[in-house]
Amino acid sequence: MNVLQQVPRNALVWGIICLFALVAPHAVRLPFWVLGVYLLAVGWRWQVYRGRWSFPRRKLKLAMIVSSFVGIYFSYGSFIGLEPTVALLLTAFALKFTELAHRQDAYVLIFLGYFVCLTEFLFSQDLLMTFYSLLCVTLLTTTLVALHQPGQHQFNRRTIRLAFVMLLQALPLMVVLFFLFPRIGPLWKMPTSSHTGTTGMSDFMKPGDIASLTQSDEVAFRVKFEGEIPPSSDLYWRGLVMSKLENGAWSTLGLYSVPAKEARPQAVSTTGDPLIYSVIMEPTNQQWLYGLRYAISSTPGVMATSDFRLISPTPVEVEYIYRARSWTGAELEPKLSEWRRKIETRLPPNANPRSRAFALEMRDAVESDAAFMSLIMNKFTTETYVYTLKPGQLLGRDAIDQFLFESRRGFCEHYASAFVFVMRAAGIPARVVAGYQGGEVNPVNKTVIVHQFDAHAWAEVWIKGRGWVRADPTAAVSPTRIEMGLEEAMESEGSFLSEMPLSPVRYRSVALLNELRLRYDALTYGWQSWVVGFDSGQQMQLLHRVFGEISARTFMAAFIGSWALVLIPVAISLFRGKDTFPMSPADKYYRMFCHRLSLIGLKRVSGEAPGDFARRVVAAIPEETEQVWNITSLYARMAYETGADGNRNDQNALEELIRAVSKFKPKAQRNAGGGLHPPV
Amino acid sequence: MGVFSRKGAKRDHTRRLRAGFEKWVNRRIPPAREITLNQRRIFIFPSRIGLFFSVCLLVMLIAAINFESNLSYGLTFLLMTLFIVSILHTYANLSGLTIRALRATPAFPGQLSDFHLMVERSKKRDHFALYFFWPNGSEILVNLVEEDSNRFQLHVPVDKRGWFNPGRLLVESTYPLGLLRCWTWIDLDISALVYPGPLASPDLPGVATDTPDGAAVPVTGNDDFYGFRGYRIGDSLRQVHWKGLAKGQGVQTKQYTAYADRSVWLDWEQFPGAGVEQRLSHLCYWALAFEERSEEYGLRLPGLVIQPASGEKHRDRVLKELALFGFEGATL
Repeated sequence: MNVLQQVPRNALVWGIICLFALVAPHAVRLPFWVLGVYLLAVGWRWQVYRGRWSFPRRKLKLAMIVSSFVGIYFSYGSFIGLEPTVALLLTAFALKFTELAHRQDAYVLIFLGYFVCLTEFLFSQDLLMTFYSLLCVTLLTTTLVALHQPGQHQFNRRTIRLAFVMLLQALPLMVVLFFLFPRIGPLWKMPTSSHTGTTGMSDFMKPGDIASLTQSDEVAFRVKFEGEIPPSSDLYWRGLVMSKLENGAWSTLGLYSVPAKEARPQAVSTTGDPLIYSVIMEPTNQQWLYGLRYAISSTPGVMATSDFRLISPTPVEVEYIYRARSWTGAELEPKLSEWRRKIETRLPPNANPRSRAFALEMRDAVESDAAFMSLIMNKFTTETYVYTLKPGQLLGRDAIDQFLFESRRGFCEHYASAFVFVMRAAGIPARVVAGYQGGEVNPVNKTVIVHQFDAHAWAEVWIKGRGWVRADPTAAVSPTRIEMGLEEAMESEGSFLSEMPLSPVRYRSVALLNELRLRYDALTYGWQSWVVGFDSGQQMQLLHRVFGEISARTFMAAFIGSWALVLIPVAISLFRGKDTFPMSPADKYYRMFCHRLSLIGLKRVSGEAPGDFARRVVAAIPEETEQVWNITSLYARMAYETGADGNRNDQNALEELIRAVSKFKPKAQRNAGGGLHPPV
Repeated sequence: MGVFSRKGAKRDHTRRLRAGFEKWVNRRIPPAREITLNQRRIFIFPSRIGLFFSVCLLVMLIAAINFESNLSYGLTFLLMTLFIVSILHTYANLSGLTIRALRATPAFPGQLSDFHLMVERSKKRDHFALYFFWPNGSEILVNLVEEDSNRFQLHVPVDKRGWFNPGRLLVESTYPLGLLRCWTWIDLDISALVYPGPLASPDLPGVATDTPDGAAVPVTGNDDFYGFRGYRIGDSLRQVHWKGLAKGQGVQTKQYTAYADRSVWLDWEQFPGAGVEQRLSHLCYWALAFEERSEEYGLRLPGLVIQPASGEKHRDRVLKELALFGFEGATL
């Protein structure tokens, strides 16, 4: 085999490491048999290396490829979509490894590997994931380097060091490209991940749903306010408005059940300064976004619904950034349409008779809807209702009766649901709002982190002359929940994140851990807003800030300048290095002397003794005789004699030599005669 | 006719182009026994793999654009800039190396001549996978990792009698990533001596009568029995010790000694009617034959006489004269 075609063992070992490192983060999404293919591929190739087996034959390879295709089709039900495509890519990656015989195969394998790294980003753009991918890229590059180190059979640490150093040198240039490269929209629609489940809130809420959501410490979204952060008790993040009660569960109105003329939100008169904030949402695979009331967004694509919520045009599959402004005091829907009134007062017939009777009786006792509302709120405050994550079984047709008059134990959804039921029973338009309440303020970067356990449900009641008014019965039962958060509200019960004993959020009381957690979260926020969410708008802003006016010239100058700034030191570091035959200072100055003479045509031939050279030089330029002999004898003394009194003498001679050489500036002579030519 | 002439013109064109290139290379990298690689001499260009990698990068960039994934952009740009940084690394792997021609072993036509070369580094940097290749000859990959210099050999088949110049040597490196190819063509100003191809002739004819110190004798070389040695391919069947073989002692060859004072003259004039090359080939054959038997032999060529002697040094001298016979400045 051609010497250039061999794959050194070192490269093979690095290749195997790469293979497993690359498949690891994908493992959760892959059918288990694909991992089997990986083990088989590596096992086979190793046996080939040991000389036990031979490379798979053509027919067998074909069979493996076809069966992988069939396997993927059966595992996913189709080839369309991101997951099956990536699974195919990963299987091809493993199969290619079995036939790794020549260097060409290794190139294909490594480039495929880089592509596998890229596909990982389509599923997660997490900071940790990025570091992991960088590790994978380093490993792949190491394999590429090892491929060009023939005869290195020992595991060689310098191989990975070189790969690491090269990537490190490439990194600053990458950053320049990253921020300068224009962001254009997609050229065509790509398959997206369709098989991953939705997380967070659902548009369907039955008792117990939110309680189970609060067992998660995942981040739902992060908010950065311009200016002061409002107090926690004002942070009601509206996500869903649920107007439909069926079989004891609340749900949103379907898109097509809203008549066309009701589909657009009514105009809202806004006064005063709005709260301005931007939200980075974690992927939910749902369309709705979260905002304080009444929110409008300037982010392109974000739409508003008739119940004053924000929705994204497509499901949120990756981290999503949007900006919003909110006027918390704005009057929403001062005039209620007939259709809206009908929808927002509708109740299923017959269920919960006691609650209905109670509502009608109490409504008669007061003169206004607003007074009725405070009366019911008062009932929650004065009577013994318990706010708990463990409300016990509350199901069946008359669950609200049961909760309101018997168990009196419930979580936010029970209170919100019962409250809206009573309002509607009294003929007052009311609805359940689901979203998040509060959030943790990160002192590091002044963001509000909203976790899944901040999930909350409350009510909105329509009061004549005031529009939709927020009413949170939970606040009446457990003010701590609204002011301090769930952890404090559940302190006596001990049920906060009880299913996640290792969650870092549980250890907020440990100062060091909490500090670390918050710092990491701040880093994540910066990462998401500056890297993951970097878009053309941000790019324009950045360029304006750095360059002022953007012109082609400044652009090019910045580009070339930054590249020179990085590449020149790299070049210097590369070409520097200890001389294999280090020159003594005397040699260096004597060489300088020779160089000056060579400029006027007197070249010292290699191997010519300094004395011979001096004679030749003196013949050519007699007026410099003294200087030339002085330098030559000084050099000869230092090069060939060891001084009797050691270094000091040497040092003096060296200084003299340096002085003499620095002063020596020979001039060319026209009629120099034969002396110019070296003796042959 | 037209086709032919056009073809001829084309061939002429390429030849002129090649000649032009050679002239340019000769000016840029003049022949020398020792050549240090620097920016004047090193060429660099993306390799085929590098071009393939560029296509891969383009696909990755399109994926990043279509998925609007910033981290994918980042990865693509990282690999792009890695490509650019590797230009410097690839160049550094070749730069500063000194390649020295040491010697070339003489060979017979059709055989391989060994060219002994040495590569040295000037700085304590590692150099990997230096690829040396002589067109038509052998190739080798050399590392300079722990040592400052490395001696190695390349084998090139030689054809005609005389000085054989193997042409320009390709020095190439794609280390560390294989994406770029960095190369140079150097002329090390080294030639291998090619002897005439030995050509057997029937017994060495005639005796050169005017020899003062001995007469040519038939070269049967079977005067005095000297001993046995193991059979080697090429030994005459007449000298095989058949009796011993019959006794089960293995195949052995009987050895005879010739008298040391009996010297032979190999004479140009001994092969009347033969052409120059044929004469030289015969002479070469006989020189080898006598040397094999450790007999003394002298050489007489037009304008040159080598007194009879034997031994490796003598043989090399004789063969060299035969190799260079008729070439300008041949005698050295």
